[in-house]
Amino acid sequence: MTETRGVKMSSNTIDTPESGFTVAPITVTHPEKVDVRAIRLFRDPPWLLRLTLEGDRSYTRVKVVRAAPLSHPDHFIALLDARDEEICMIDALDDLDEETRSLVGEELDRRYLTSRIVRVLSVRNEFGTSYWTVDTHRGRREFVVQNVGENALWLGDHRLLLIDVDGNRFEVPRVDDLDKRSVALMEQVL
Amino acid sequence: MQTLARMTEHPRTESTGRLLDHAADGEEVLIQVSTDLDEQAEFGQRWLVVTPGRVIVVPVDGTDGGLLSVAVVDIRHVRNEMLVGGGLLAIEPVRGDALEVFYTASMAPKFAEVARGLEQLRDGRPMSINPELERMRCARCNRLLPEKNGICPACVHKLATLRRIASYVLPYRWRVLVLGLAAAAVTAAELLPPMITRRIVDDVLVPADPSPDSMDARMETLGLLVLALIGVRLSSWVAEWMHGWIMAWMGARVTADIRSQLYRRMEMLSMQFYDKRQVGALMSRVTRDAGRLHEFLVDGLPYLVINGLMVLGILGFLVYLSWELSLYILVPVPLMLFWGAFFWKRMRRYFHRWGESWEKLTERTNEALNGIRVVKAFAQEKREIRSFSAVNRDLREVAVATQLNRGIFFATMSFLTGLGVLIVWLLGGRQVLLEQITLGTLLAFYSFMWMFYGPLEWVAQVNTWMSQSFAGAERIFEVIDALPEAYDDPGAQRLPRIHGSIRFNRVSFGYDKSKPVLRDIDLNVEPGEMIGLVGRSGVGKTTLVNLVTRFYDVDQGEILIDGIDIRQINLRDLRRQIGIVSQDPVLFSGTIADNIGYGNPGASFQDIMDAARIANAHNFIMAKSDAYETQVGERGIGLSGGERQRLAIARAVLHDPRILILDEATSSVDVETETQIQQAMAKLTRGRTTIAIAHRLSTLRHAQRIVVLDHGRIVETGSHAELIALGGVFSELVRLQKEADEIIAIRN
Repeated sequence: MTETRGVKMSSNTIDTPESGFTVAPITVTHPEKVDVRAIRLFRDPPWLLRLTLEGDRSYTRVKVVRAAPLSHPDHFIALLDARDEEICMIDALDDLDEETRSLVGEELDRRYLTSRIVRVLSVRNEFGTSYWTVDTHRGRREFVVQNVGENALWLGDHRLLLIDVDGNRFEVPRVDDLDKRSVALMEQVL
Repeated sequence: MQTLARMTEHPRTESTGRLLDHAADGEEVLIQVSTDLDEQAEFGQRWLVVTPGRVIVVPVDGTDGGLLSVAVVDIRHVRNEMLVGGGLLAIEPVRGDALEVFYTASMAPKFAEVARGLEQLRDGRPMSINPELERMRCARCNRLLPEKNGICPACVHKLATLRRIASYVLPYRWRVLVLGLAAAAVTAAELLPPMITRRIVDDVLVPADPSPDSMDARMETLGLLVLALIGVRLSSWVAEWMHGWIMAWMGARVTADIRSQLYRRMEMLSMQFYDKRQVGALMSRVTRDAGRLHEFLVDGLPYLVINGLMVLGILGFLVYLSWELSLYILVPVPLMLFWGAFFWKRMRRYFHRWGESWEKLTERTNEALNGIRVVKAFAQEKREIRSFSAVNRDLREVAVATQLNRGIFFATMSFLTGLGVLIVWLLGGRQVLLEQITLGTLLAFYSFMWMFYGPLEWVAQVNTWMSQSFAGAERIFEVIDALPEAYDDPGAQRLPRIHGSIRFNRVSFGYDKSKPVLRDIDLNVEPGEMIGLVGRSGVGKTTLVNLVTRFYDVDQGEILIDGIDIRQINLRDLRRQIGIVSQDPVLFSGTIADNIGYGNPGASFQDIMDAARIANAHNFIMAKSDAYETQVGERGIGLSGGERQRLAIARAVLHDPRILILDEATSSVDVETETQIQQAMAKLTRGRTTIAIAHRLSTLRHAQRIVVLDHGRIVETGSHAELIALGGVFSELVRLQKEADEIIAIRN
């Protein structure tokens, strides 16, 4: 079932004509390369995700996982089986048909409980710990960030990820898009 | 059905309480917990109520329609799925809809327990979960805690903490008394000179009667007054010296007392305490928190006391000299306090950022230099230089900004102080001209004013300072107050000579109670028998031996040694007779001989050498330049893995334990060394009850029986030959290893 694809890396392939010696290219073992059009996802029963690869076989308790959740949330999405082994990878969400894409989207929303901050209501910095109250796309939330230097990660120049003491994640997709007051409040601690 | 523990969280509002009561409908409530996400995974509140018969989900906006429930008998599967930043508890029924409860990462430990409880209920077993809920908010001020079950920095009971710190000072109370007197003397000595100079001006330099007749008398007065000044300066010198000396002595003494108590307690704490905390965090309690406390006691407290006395004294003198002028010079005070408070906040931020930039720079340099081989191997020097430059630039910018702000702060402060000076010159000068006050009074006033403004510049930061050192003290007290292991429990049974039988009776255990690592382990080890423990990594082999040494207590079942439950055996007796040779033996700073004798401080040199001979360590030790007196450990020379291994075996030989535990003692050594180690171990294990964990199955040839663990359970038991014949997990492992060995052999 597994297919072996050769990854050609020209710099790694050295041909020395005198000896006739060739360095073999490095090969990568992929799970089966699945045609995205063959992917059929269902909820069956409603609380479980089932995957059928058309005309082939079917999996239950399927998980949808991002390979690069921070920088490429819409690409490289893996479908895992009940034992967390990869069934196949979807290179781009856009390759999927409408129906499957929305289902994958729903599943991703369920799995990634990261909240997007839309407004900062208050930030207090006391004793090396900052106390935040924010409005997110999931509603209002209070949280505590310890050691802001370590737990506020800049992903690029404008994108900020805050991780609170319990490991909850709060994201600001573009700091510049926030209102002035929010930015001013954040600048106090960052 | 028997229930051992209930897990109930109390709703914060009465209406929610009523809602929950209504949902439970009079049934016994086993679990009642809240979650912070609603069915759309948006922030909100929902409750999960579990009764012996039903599982109910209650939304707080609670219309009846929103109430969902599943009968316990209908539960087919309880799924507790880890999500990113939280989790999902899904109760999947045989028919009907599943209950899905989302929760954020803050609630994960709680829901892990709930999921376990539900599984137990579904299986008809008694529910046994850890019902303790973590405290997330401060019980007093309701603010979120930086650490779960931790200390609220805002609510540190300053007075109580101070009292507790004072209890450490109490043994030195006579010195404290002297200290107090010295502080008073220092204050007085600071306050007197302006009063004396006032007399010099008024009585000597610009007297009311400036006739030449009084010249002699004035000269005499001048002499006396200067003498008085000298006297004051001298006594001030003595008092300040005494004060500084006693304070430094006491501060160091008290923190040393606290630190040593802390360390003593840390050594005696159970492994469980350490599992929950990072070693780094604990180290910082010994070093940083104690350091902060020291700083506060040596610098902060005297500063507070002396300046407090001083401000009061100055105010007294000022009012005595002229209450009118006093009122005027108080005018800039609110401005200064306000500015101080405002600016310190800002400055703190800059200092903080400065510190962080420094840390980043250090980290960056450290990483790059430690990894220099990798950097060079991939020819990435340029990139490292670039990234260092970026960090360096940040640091430079922050440093400049910090200094700039600092400059502004102090400049503004002196400007405000200058304002006070202007007032004094203007109004005071006028009063002198009008002869309402004397020139001497004005000059005294002038001096006092400077002394008065000084401490005010710092008053704003005193609170932060105190909070930080007190929070540090609290963290220290938290460790001191934790329960130590019961080494000297008088009720424990003495067992000076262990025979060596070990018996596991349906033992279950997990570091985290929600994730059992070992389940229903039944095993009987005869005295002198050698048992080999085999299984994939993470199946609980090390955990099993950790239970024998009683680093942890079992959750269920019992472990008997010589027929006695180990929880009833005197801990010292137990550990003294168990020897461990582990995968990566730790050597302490000291000589090789010290290290071999670690468990037997009184051992003779002859015994140590004998032990080393048995362990096949003698020869390599003798080859070192200082032989048995070679320094090893942190500052000593490095030993190879095989050498350290053999020292650890020698240590165990000398220790002469009745029960021996070998935890992958021969991993990571070459073949020749392994043979030597195996020989050494064969001598060591003879006649001793031995439990050997091994990845390399050939090590277990001497084992009478081999026990195979999988998923926390014993799956196979028997001799090497029996297990091969059985054709199960063990024979598969042996086959795989043989293949791997063959591959290695071919490659070599």
